[in-house]
Amino acid sequence: MFSRAARSWVLRTTGGGLGTRGTHSPGGSARSQGKMASYYTNHYAQRSYPMPDEPYCTELTAEQQALKEKEKGSWAQLSQEEKVALYRLQFRESFAEMNRRSSEWKTVMGCVFFFIGLTGLLIWWQRVYVFPEKPVTLTDERKAQQLQRLLDMKSNPVQGLASRWDYERKEWKK
Amino acid sequence: MLPLARNARLQVRSNQQTMKRASDFHDKYGNAILASGSIFCITVWTYTATQVGIEWNLSPVGRVTLKEWRDQ
Repeated sequence: MFSRAARSWVLRTTGGGLGTRGTHSPGGSARSQGKMASYYTNHYAQRSYPMPDEPYCTELTAEQQALKEKEKGSWAQLSQEEKVALYRLQFRESFAEMNRRSSEWKTVMGCVFFFIGLTGLLIWWQRVYVFPEKPVTLTDERKAQQLQRLLDMKSNPVQGLASRWDYERKEWKK
Repeated sequence: MLPLARNARLQVRSNQQTMKRASDFHDKYGNAILASGSIFCITVWTYTATQVGIEWNLSPVGRVTLKEWRDQ
């Protein structure tokens, strides 16, 4: 319930133009925006909640009210434009509109990478101001000597370090 | 057959509508934000990983040349 309300809030603030600007219906006839459905109780239709309690437009012009009256009769007498107009009165967006792709992921991933980059700067600062002195055993010379000693001891000869060293040719195994 | 054609027409109409839909913030700036964010991330991390003096202690296998350690 909360996630539905939250999602429709997100839809209203970021989503497509039709809902927030209320223009350009395919029916052609002027459609009043009217009072929009309160999103605390009767939020807009969504794929997961396709039939809200209240229609999208509740305040209708005289023309629209006449159309609603006509809807009470046989639907065969409604023209295509009238059917679409009735749909637009009932629903904010069609399924195609509500399911449209967006470019939001680009903004999201861009910001994710930006903050990961900031983390890199943070770690740089830490290396300069926080890390202790590097022990002498980590210099290249000492590491080469340690490696020789490990190989002399044949450490981990089955699957580990010494198993990767070719003792006959005195080189790393290919 | 007829309902299918009707659905196609509605679909076409809403496709036309989506073409005319106003572009939002993500359409306008999404590509730039994605590109600049990833470039920033990649440059910072390649610099931090290689130039700053962090010891990664990578495996010596295939990489390190040996040096004699015994005091002669």
